Amino acid sequence: MSAGTLHRTAYDDVPYTRGGVVDRTEVGALVRSAVDGDAAAWKALVEGLSPLVWSVVRAHRLSEADGHEVFQTVWFRFAQHLGRIREPDKAGAWLASTARHECLKVLKGLSRLTLTDDPRVLDRASEERTPEETLIDSEEAADRAERVRRLWQELDALGERCRQLLRVLMASPPPSYGEISAALGIAVGSIGPLRQRCLRRLRARMDARGAL
Amino acid sequence: MNGDEEMPGGPDALADGLLEEELRQAAAVLDPVPADLLQSALDAFALHDLDARLAELTFDSLVDALPVRGAADPPRMLTFRAGEVTVDVEVTGDGLIGQLMPPQSARIELLGGPGHARPLTADPLGRFTGGPPPTGPFALRLRTGAEVIVTEWLRA
Repeated sequence: MSAGTLHRTAYDDVPYTRGGVVDRTEVGALVRSAVDGDAAAWKALVEGLSPLVWSVVRAHRLSEADGHEVFQTVWFRFAQHLGRIREPDKAGAWLASTARHECLKVLKGLSRLTLTDDPRVLDRASEERTPEETLIDSEEAADRAERVRRLWQELDALGERCRQLLRVLMASPPPSYGEISAALGIAVGSIGPLRQRCLRRLRARMDARGAL
Repeated sequence: MNGDEEMPGGPDALADGLLEEELRQAAAVLDPVPADLLQSALDAFALHDLDARLAELTFDSLVDALPVRGAADPPRMLTFRAGEVTVDVEVTGDGLIGQLMPPQSARIELLGGPGHARPLTADPLGRFTGGPPPTGPFALRLRTGAEVIVTEWLRA
């Protein structure tokens, strides 16, 4: 993908050809196949869109337990609504929007109780070790791992709006601006400028740490 | 850094794109979708039920109700609707209490995920109870004489 396709006006219509399990242009067809009982199509949807749903959960800083329940609720409901989704091509936005609303419900429920957890603790990366993470710990990858960790730390210090946007933006494959809009409740037109500002602020912070 | 939007493809836009990609790789390594969650999303295909009628959530006290003064932990009130049929549910610390309208007998189960169902006690007038309260995502499956109704999945 060239940098030009990341520009906001172009972004939404560009088919994703890079790396992802699901090509977003196929989402509608996959939904229709899944409605007809095609388990392979369902699997492709789950693998292609789970990172987006997860990113919305993480962007809202839910506790581990709440985040897991929201993620499951979103997928259970998606399975239930499969044949009733009006725009199957926009299933990603449907999932992102459902995830956002469930996250907001959790936060609303929490605000009625006493907050006892340290929010910074809630925001740490998953405890689970992945093979990739183990790999990145190996000595030869140590420098890269260090930069990745710093990037993660700086992200946390960027402020809430930027942290949320970037956490959703970095889902894989890259979400469309329509999906980001559904995930965070912000206008599509404001995503491009916000993205630019947040990425540049992050880059400036990394430069200041001499991490480049 | 003057806030102007530049032409796509400029050096800064390129650097933005690279940084975004680097973040994407970092997320995949440091914060991937947990494997058990991925599995439960795959298993959720079993919840795609063509035969059941969906009862949509039309009222949720968590969202729609004004806070009750003095009530520290009010019960969650939910209403689901499928056509002319409504299901009112109250989630308390002890379990579920509910009412199917119009009143009619039904076999009612509490679903907790793919393959997890436990029966609730229902009377001939459509009143039902059961405990303990659900702890994660849940739905109700109601078999009336005429049809099967499933409520929208919800987090307790």
